[in-house]
Amino acid sequence: MDLFANLAHGFVVAFSPVNLLMCLIGALVGTLVGVLPGIGTIATVAMLLPITFGLPPVGALIMLAGIYYGAQYGGSTTSILVNIPGEATSVVTALDGHQMAKQGRAGPALAIAAIGSFFAGCVATILIAVLGAPLTKLALAFGPAEYFSLMVLGLIFAVVLAKGSVLKAIAMIVFGLLLSMVGSDIETGASRMAFNIPELADGLGFATVAMGVFGFAEIIRNLDHGAEMSRDLVQQKITGLMPTRKDLIDSAPAIGRGTVLGSILGILPGGGAVIASFAAYTLEKKLAKNPSRFGRGAIEGVAAPESANNAAAQTSFIPLLTLGIPPNAVMALMVGAMTIHGIVPGPQVMQKQPDLVWGMIASMWIGNLMLVIINLPLVGIWVRLLRVPYRLMFPSIVIFCAIGIYSVNNAPVDVVLAGVFGLVGYWLIKHDFEPAPLLLGMVLGPLMEENLRRALLISRGDWSVFVSRPLSAVLLAIAAGLLVLAVLPTLRAKRDEVFVESEG
Amino acid sequence: MAETMGQTASSTRNTKAAIGIVVLALAPQLFELVWSFGTIIGLGAGRGPAQVLLAHGGALLSAAPNAVFGSVAADAKKGFSSDVLLALIYSYPLFAVAIVTLFVKIRAPQDYIGGIMLLALALLALWASSDLQGMRGFSFGAGTAPWMFGVLLVALGAGIAVMGLFTEGPGLAHYSWRGPLFVCAAIIFFALAIRPLGLVVSAFASFMIAAVGSHETRWVEAIIVGACLTVACALLFPYVLGLPMPMFPRFLIQ
Amino acid sequence: MNWYGRSLASASLALAAVLSAVVAPARAQDYPTRSITMIVPFAAGGPTDVIARIVTGHMAQTLGQSIIIENVVGAGGTTASARAARAANDGYTLITGHMGTHAASVPLYPNLAYHPEKSFEPVGLLAGTPILILARKDFPPKDLKEFVTYVKANAEKVNAAHAGVGSVSHVSCQLLNSILGIEPVGVPFNGTGPAMNALVAGQVDYMCDQIVNAVPQINAGTIKAYAIATPERNPSLPNVPTTAEAGLPAFQAQAWNAIFAPKGTPAPIIAKLNAAAVKALDDETVRKRLLELGSVVPQPADRTPAALGTLVNNEIKKWTPVLKPAG
Repeated sequence: MDLFANLAHGFVVAFSPVNLLMCLIGALVGTLVGVLPGIGTIATVAMLLPITFGLPPVGALIMLAGIYYGAQYGGSTTSILVNIPGEATSVVTALDGHQMAKQGRAGPALAIAAIGSFFAGCVATILIAVLGAPLTKLALAFGPAEYFSLMVLGLIFAVVLAKGSVLKAIAMIVFGLLLSMVGSDIETGASRMAFNIPELADGLGFATVAMGVFGFAEIIRNLDHGAEMSRDLVQQKITGLMPTRKDLIDSAPAIGRGTVLGSILGILPGGGAVIASFAAYTLEKKLAKNPSRFGRGAIEGVAAPESANNAAAQTSFIPLLTLGIPPNAVMALMVGAMTIHGIVPGPQVMQKQPDLVWGMIASMWIGNLMLVIINLPLVGIWVRLLRVPYRLMFPSIVIFCAIGIYSVNNAPVDVVLAGVFGLVGYWLIKHDFEPAPLLLGMVLGPLMEENLRRALLISRGDWSVFVSRPLSAVLLAIAAGLLVLAVLPTLRAKRDEVFVESEG
Repeated sequence: MAETMGQTASSTRNTKAAIGIVVLALAPQLFELVWSFGTIIGLGAGRGPAQVLLAHGGALLSAAPNAVFGSVAADAKKGFSSDVLLALIYSYPLFAVAIVTLFVKIRAPQDYIGGIMLLALALLALWASSDLQGMRGFSFGAGTAPWMFGVLLVALGAGIAVMGLFTEGPGLAHYSWRGPLFVCAAIIFFALAIRPLGLVVSAFASFMIAAVGSHETRWVEAIIVGACLTVACALLFPYVLGLPMPMFPRFLIQ
Repeated sequence: MNWYGRSLASASLALAAVLSAVVAPARAQDYPTRSITMIVPFAAGGPTDVIARIVTGHMAQTLGQSIIIENVVGAGGTTASARAARAANDGYTLITGHMGTHAASVPLYPNLAYHPEKSFEPVGLLAGTPILILARKDFPPKDLKEFVTYVKANAEKVNAAHAGVGSVSHVSCQLLNSILGIEPVGVPFNGTGPAMNALVAGQVDYMCDQIVNAVPQINAGTIKAYAIATPERNPSLPNVPTTAEAGLPAFQAQAWNAIFAPKGTPAPIIAKLNAAAVKALDDETVRKRLLELGSVVPQPADRTPAALGTLVNNEIKKWTPVLKPAG
């Protein structure tokens, strides 16, 4: 009963005209930020923070939250249309989403991403309202050992993602891990592989590498002689804008599973949300009757990770709302926004600031509704963008990416580095190495190394913590199981092919 | 088509591949040499070309061989300069790979060369982290994880290369130069120009430089679109998103 | 291995210099005639950023020009400070430095690209944020005296969390440890959020942190505070004794924030900026907001540029023996 009273109160707060407007602005800006390559949510929330000075605190936070989850909607757009993931969470979407776009199915891909995100957003919002407080225990149960095991599991997911040789995929992950170690060592502060370049002192930014190996490399490759043919083909055969009935039936279970996985992983403050989208992708690929469709334009490969990342974006508010501890950089900014308004979030924020907490929860549902209403009509416009001749498209993408990367840290060196990674990505394409496992290795690398070291520091060098703590042991067991599953198909690949042919 | 090319050419191409790997083995030294010419005209503050030549030449030709064959090898690792370490950790293993390349039959050049380049990257990472501290008792040092993953990548790169010797696979893909050159030029120009020249000038100029990268570009059209895009960016980034960037050249504002 | 970085930096500097050669020198009496950039060496929303925004918001009104905050994150704030040190000394680029960037960085980073005293002109102290000794809620010692005996007896077993090398929590904890003469295992986290999470979850034993993040957790009983390292108790935590009261007077530490200008900025401009900062600190709303953060507003005597210069000098002397160089 209490819950309904609280929710009703929240909706009263969220439906006030000012807050509705803030929610809409947040959703719009979030979509824009997500769509523009390079510009991350962190940079935008940071830039918009001073504007919230003059706003009432509830409205300000509703707007900032809107930017955060709105970017999850927008982020899929560039992944699908031009194969540029703007955030770690949309790397996986690019795999099948861009293939769908190449087959003229950009419309259904974009639409299913929006629909999946909406469903996930609704479920996760209810979850926050109903189970927020008890779920907090999960966030506290995860110590360094558990995070390390989770990241090992994440790396196994990255292997499963690859469509080609497992050996090459593992090599790419390790390459990504090495890249992630550039910068200052967390424990001693020593500079690692930074070649005394001050801008490298904090490591390579995700946006820098992603724009390089995905964005710039893709452009350079498309400028090759002989690449015109396949590009022009894309523009001619654009089919329907909306998903067909079959698409919806195929994606429904994927959306459901993605939502569940994303909701659980999102609660973990130390980077659970990052692996949500590819955990969901891996799950779909493993459950699929015909896993070979993945990476070649399977709609489940878009629906599941997009649902998962939006669910995770919503549930990652749980540690903030129940513990007052920001689980990621964007949330830390929101804490900053609260402190500017004189609200210092803590464990009692739910009791002390019911307007804020329940208003925000209610606004999330409203925001998701707004986002799906904004995004579905946009699908038509985005798809029409694909008809722009490539000779005009590619310099525009270069400029947008360059501005985006520059804006992350106001650092020109980042832009140069992205160019270097563009060449690296071009080289990777030429040698049939996949960039996605590289990026995931890069994202997971620091989380894995830091937690491993933390766990070993706390246990005084005793490696058995990883198996003696039950949660950690379970995660490692799943990882080992998945690895076996990942290696097996390559052994029986021939049998699968025969099977597919006889079916077709 | 590419496959047959790789097939027929593989035996004659081994010398080329070996020479390529030797160049790769000397790439960091050559890079520093090229870079050091900047010091002559006052750009950069590194070593001059003569110093670079002497240091690396000495490291490659005498110091490192001495270290390999000499008796000092036991515990003198700390005493080596970073140039000698570069020769030892990076260049020499690659020289060895180049020699091996001359005598093997490459069945999948794409994998073989790709694997060797990964190997080279891993060796470079091992060199770059060779000055870091290793394990300290039970706790990891700064260099432990880079060392672990560097060694792992050496093994994986070698593994991929070896696979390229035993399984048939595609040949080397064709690289073009125009696209990469002009896209990179546009990016670098943007990076250098954004602070002094502002968003408007650098965005438009970079757009045009990038447009040179395609032979399909029609100039009138590109100028119009470039101008429109620049205006759009100039409104979008600083105003709608509130990102602090210089708009116009610095000398015009003051 | 230096040449990559330096050459790249100087190449872009050279281009910048050539392209902006026609810079008219700013005249001090007209200052400011355009907007001022305030570099904040930490992420938006962090304690330093919040303080900078509160104070500069008021300063902008006094000066009649907007002050644009530019957050430049990296290497414990030293990236931003190095950039500010290189900036034109015309008063249009300032930096909100803190104890880490303008004192503790000297011993921590031997290759620092700037020196807090030689590369900057002090403008004015903005606020001090008290530091607390915190512990997980089920950590055996009940008060600071027991804590001292406990950690000394169990030096092998205790873990101290910190928010990364060079952070306030790291630096202040090193001071505490050196006073106690112990070397506990330091468990590094990426920022105060994760470190606080680990403390609340009981994964680590104690840490030192700024008052801002800790107050709500202490009030909710999820962690406990042994003492506050300032001469006086703090109004937001009236029950927490000072280190002097609790028997460890040697441990005094505050995370201070102050405005600096690049070396050579004309004295009249410094005076104008200092006057604006002082006026902001006297403003009732600014004061109230800073106090809400748990910060301490400096006494009038401590607000002058000269006082800040002395503070920086003393702080460098204080931290140098405590901190070993990183790496």
